[in-house]
Amino acid sequence: MMSLKEFENRNVSEGAYYKVDIPDYPETGWEKAKQVFSRAIKGELFVGLYIVMREMIKFDIHTVQYPKEKLPIGPRYRAVHEMQRLWESGTERCIGCGLCEKICISDCIRMDTKIDEQSRKQVTEYTINLGRCIFCGYCAEVCPELAIVHGGRYENTSEQRAHYIGYEDMLTPFDMAVKGQVAEYPGFGAITPHEDERVKSTPLAY
Amino acid sequence: MSEITITIDGREIKTEEGELILNAARANDIFIPAICYLTRCSPTLACRICLVEADGKQVYACNSKSKDGMQITTSTETIEAERRAIMEVYDVNHPLECGVCDQSGECELQNYTLEVGIDAQSYAIKDTFKPVQNWGLINYDPALCIMCERCTTVCKDMIGDGALSTKPRNGDTIDETFKESMPKDAYAMWNKLNKSLIQPNAGDTLDCTDCGECTAVCPVGALVSSDFQYTSNAWELSQVPATCSHCSAGCQIQYDVKHATIDNPEPKIYRVKNEWNYVSLCGAGRYGYDFENRVEAKDEAAFANAIEAFEKADTITFDSQITNEEALILQKLKESRGYRLINDEARKFAEFMKAYSAISGTATYKTPLKAVNGANFVISVGSSIKTDNPNARFAMNNAMIMNKGAALYFHPVADPVVDDMGKNILSVNHAPMQEEAVMYLILDLFSKKEALPADVAEYLTSFHSMKTITVTETIKEKVVEIVKEMKVNEETGEEEEVEVEKSKMVPKKVDKDVEVDENRLLEIVNAPKTFETAMEKMLAKKDRFALMVGPDFYSHPNAANLARLVALVEKYTDFSVTMIPEKGNTLGVAMICDLDTEAGSSTIGYNVKGDFTLSATGNGDLDMPAMNQQEGTLTSIQLRVNPTNAALGYKGYELNDIANALGLNAKLTVDYTVKLGEIDGFKSENFDDLPNHYTNKGEEMRGYELTVNEVVTSGDESVAPFDEAAAMDEAMVYRGNPTLQFNDFTNKSHQLNETAALYVSSDYAIANELSEGDTVLVETTKGSMEFNVKIDSKIGGDIPFVPSFDSNLNSEALFNDYRFSNATIKKV
Amino acid sequence: MEVAYIIETLIKIVVILLVFSALAGFGTYFERKILAFMQRRLGPMHVGPFGLLQIAADGIKLFTKEDIVPTNAVGPIFKIAPVITAATAFMAAAAIPFLPQFTIFGYTVHPIVADVNIGILYILGVMAVGFYGPLLGSLASSNKFALISAARAASVFISYEVVTGLSLLAPLMMVGSFSLIDFNNYQAGGIGDWIIWSQPVAFVLFWIAAFAETGRTPFHLVANDHEIIDGFGTEYSGMRWGLFFIGEYANMFFISFVIVLLFLGGFGDGSVLGALGFLLKMSFFFFFFLWTRAAWPDIRPDQLMWLCWKVLMPLAVINVVVTGFVMMF
Repeated sequence: MMSLKEFENRNVSEGAYYKVDIPDYPETGWEKAKQVFSRAIKGELFVGLYIVMREMIKFDIHTVQYPKEKLPIGPRYRAVHEMQRLWESGTERCIGCGLCEKICISDCIRMDTKIDEQSRKQVTEYTINLGRCIFCGYCAEVCPELAIVHGGRYENTSEQRAHYIGYEDMLTPFDMAVKGQVAEYPGFGAITPHEDERVKSTPLAY
Repeated sequence: MSEITITIDGREIKTEEGELILNAARANDIFIPAICYLTRCSPTLACRICLVEADGKQVYACNSKSKDGMQITTSTETIEAERRAIMEVYDVNHPLECGVCDQSGECELQNYTLEVGIDAQSYAIKDTFKPVQNWGLINYDPALCIMCERCTTVCKDMIGDGALSTKPRNGDTIDETFKESMPKDAYAMWNKLNKSLIQPNAGDTLDCTDCGECTAVCPVGALVSSDFQYTSNAWELSQVPATCSHCSAGCQIQYDVKHATIDNPEPKIYRVKNEWNYVSLCGAGRYGYDFENRVEAKDEAAFANAIEAFEKADTITFDSQITNEEALILQKLKESRGYRLINDEARKFAEFMKAYSAISGTATYKTPLKAVNGANFVISVGSSIKTDNPNARFAMNNAMIMNKGAALYFHPVADPVVDDMGKNILSVNHAPMQEEAVMYLILDLFSKKEALPADVAEYLTSFHSMKTITVTETIKEKVVEIVKEMKVNEETGEEEEVEVEKSKMVPKKVDKDVEVDENRLLEIVNAPKTFETAMEKMLAKKDRFALMVGPDFYSHPNAANLARLVALVEKYTDFSVTMIPEKGNTLGVAMICDLDTEAGSSTIGYNVKGDFTLSATGNGDLDMPAMNQQEGTLTSIQLRVNPTNAALGYKGYELNDIANALGLNAKLTVDYTVKLGEIDGFKSENFDDLPNHYTNKGEEMRGYELTVNEVVTSGDESVAPFDEAAAMDEAMVYRGNPTLQFNDFTNKSHQLNETAALYVSSDYAIANELSEGDTVLVETTKGSMEFNVKIDSKIGGDIPFVPSFDSNLNSEALFNDYRFSNATIKKV
Repeated sequence: MEVAYIIETLIKIVVILLVFSALAGFGTYFERKILAFMQRRLGPMHVGPFGLLQIAADGIKLFTKEDIVPTNAVGPIFKIAPVITAATAFMAAAAIPFLPQFTIFGYTVHPIVADVNIGILYILGVMAVGFYGPLLGSLASSNKFALISAARAASVFISYEVVTGLSLLAPLMMVGSFSLIDFNNYQAGGIGDWIIWSQPVAFVLFWIAAFAETGRTPFHLVANDHEIIDGFGTEYSGMRWGLFFIGEYANMFFISFVIVLLFLGGFGDGSVLGALGFLLKMSFFFFFFLWTRAAWPDIRPDQLMWLCWKVLMPLAVINVVVTGFVMMF
């Protein structure tokens, strides 16, 4: 088991490196001749031949037949974004604060907002140019409402750059959200487990 | 005022005797936190966060005056405790919606919360239900409001509308225990905060001149422009410093620009901001910003036609909504190609100034409008002040409130807005064509008779007569009694019994014979009966006098005589004189262009109809850039040349391209800025060297000041007597615009767009059985025109306004040059 | 007789062309599969069962790809170069007996196009001409990587011709004939008669030289992908590139045949068993080409030259002298 402590040591020079024992290059003709002979006698060439032959016979194949079989994706993998909804109502979590737009280092997020009938901020259009996105995860990290997270959908090839947008594709399907079939805070950008300890208490008069 | 030295946090600074500690500190880049204080307005003492220790005593920096040798500490342990408690109280129940709040980080509550370092909350009270309110152009979210009362203060002290006031919040009372446990000032501030909310005086919606200054000063996102709300975060907008061109005030503004939508990367102006500590905008400046002329490409055919038209034409007519540089280009074209330049409005202003300078000895008027802010007795003549130059009204109001001043307002049209500015202003609605009588009256009231030229003094004396009258005077007797009553102690929030001395005035009627000096001029100008007694009160302790002269004078048939009278007033009384140019750059045009009287046979119109029309509104033969797409300078009423920048791009041709095709040579229009130095009064400054900002001291670092040149006078100070019979007393109309409208550009803005109508007061509508929307035919000697009727609560009296902001109507055709015209108005 | 001979020869030529062209294709399949297995991969899997139709797919691709001649290339030479490689490879096949002679429908078939009495000389000569393909193609390509490839090709081929020739001298002295049939017959007595036992040094030298002649790893420097892209093939596309490819694989097969014929007894006595053994031995050497590619790294050009002139060539000369002395006494 790896503990957090190992990650907290940022001094990488400590014990993380070791020297490889490589002899110096031969310089004189005699040294070179000796190297040739020693290598020839040791039969290094045949060791190589043996190893590959052994592997062929063992036939221990590691290939993943990609389109047919896929490797599992880690929960904090940073692939195509997902816009979350609230479970209870199905309303979008996004409040249109624009922090993702601001923090995006490849400047690929843009949003249009307006005031809606209930005097609330409404996002009328939201785009991420996935052709430009570098999937750094800053947008998910900065989002105060956990509205934008990174999902596991990493297959996003397309013939047209124009396809690299589209809020609808990213938005959690309404029916799934209302049924509660979507995990509440999955993916990169979810809150840390000890968040409660950090919040200071505020008195309430009622 | 004498210079003194005070010490703030060990730093010796020089300031003036009586300067507020806060302003002295700010001028010297020393930070004292303050939320509710507004420069140029009276201290509110709502936030109490500007606590400092002066000579060992805790005082509020925003209302304590500095004294020589004062030792001031901005931060002590108790003060820090107070500040922390105050900021915690401000954060009680403040919604955590910073993410969507329109202030988007430019929030003083947020700044001070972080500055003071609030990381925990010790106080609590039950929240009240406070729904969001829409007040037309403004949205108010009471939940976000921190009751600093900057909005009410600016509305009363600066704008003069007094449209906002506080109302009870109806919340719980603060928990008793807090009184003991929390710092004193913080508790007092909370007590006050917890009792009130902002409300419009008119009830559910605002009844004011819609200047929106309250939204500019709001430190949080409580008061915001309803059009702008939630459309953009502040950090997305880039700022373009500019100068408002709608009227002659030349206010500093800043265009906030961003791409229009996701699909449209073209830049768009989202809002206008101002340096609200030093400039106050009117609604036209704040909301009338998107008047740009969108042109997709250079229209080469139209340009070729334009050159052809210029080759053929002998006259260029234009209006004063142009930059100084464009005016100079036109003047240069006149010099090189002999065009006649026609701009009647500017020409009349130039002629007026010329007549004035014959006595005053200066080429232009001498005093900028800001002198009015410093005066304590202000007179406005010849101007419908709230629409001709809103800043002049703000200055007049500011002078009355901040300097305990008084004002006289002479105008034929009664103005409820002016009357509402307080009891220290007296309106006199004289008959049109009696402006000279007003000027004589001012001379009579304020000049030293012995210094006046003999014939003028004699003429004035002819209006005076002695008369014995019996008056029934009401004498008031003062009776003092002591009563006990319950009163709420502001600091503790408790009710306690106080003994109050009450003095009552008991009226008593007495008949008396008095010999009075009867001034017939008062009767001629239609002054109210109480004028003389009122004046006596108003004039007490007044030493700084300012006179504002308005556009009615310049187009007056006897303008030259009026100008000489104005010069006499300036010379023989204590009044300084400021003239209000009618349009955005009338002063600049009048100074730069050598204007002609008679038009030739073939005319080019620039923003005016001509045989070939150049238009920045987009309906002419060749498109021109509008003011927010241009660089250049504008000459303001402050006798200043202010730079303005292009907020939006322009892809078509501009006047400079035409000038280059006609033989002038300049790469950019602003290459002419330095050449303005050829004109008397202007300086040779490069456009890029002109600053456009204010310093912490409040110094205006914008462009440069005009030099007021001396001219030789003949010594002839004769003025003509006025013609009492010329007074117009029949039905008439006045050429003037409603609030928020100045010209086609304001009307083109999406927030201000309206259909021009005949604006009448409600009294007039009732008297003539008109109702909103009726169509009437207005007939004058010059012609007739049909209008819809609009009842405008900001107009009084019985003279309807014929607007000139919509040039498609060509309403000016109804008038001779004078702004009043006899007219018959018939319902159709 | 004459007509029958001509017809027989034509048929043999066609069969060899077809079989080895196809084999070149299968060669690539085998190479990819074997390399994959040795590297714990699967290799081509998606076209056909076990990726068998990959060859067809590649063939279709090569035939239908656009034939590009770069603007600055010398057109005629650029176009003819791949043909030289492929043609010389197949021309060399004329003197190789692929199987022992057999009788079908009463007609005796000699599975050799022309049993010339200078077979070995002919094969070595024609194969040596084959190097003009890469050389001319490179020079005509107007490409700097191709140019480096040309320089390497010239130096490698010329150098290793020396080793090939010298290493064969000793066996030739023993057999006393240039005909491969004679070589086969010399060793027909069984395993003990194989020249490998009497000339092991010559065998190893020839084998090493064969790697250089065919340009295979560890002597792949003529078209070393990670250094000079595809060397002479950089500017080629479609079937022209395909001809280089076919030439290379055909060469691998033919040189495998030659090694077996020269040193490992060929098809022996001409029985069916001998024929099968012949093919098996040949297959081993082909497989060995692939095996080394999976196991060994490439060496530098200077090391290659060093090996040739300072190690292999002296060894070959010594071998010839020793053989001469042994035969003399």
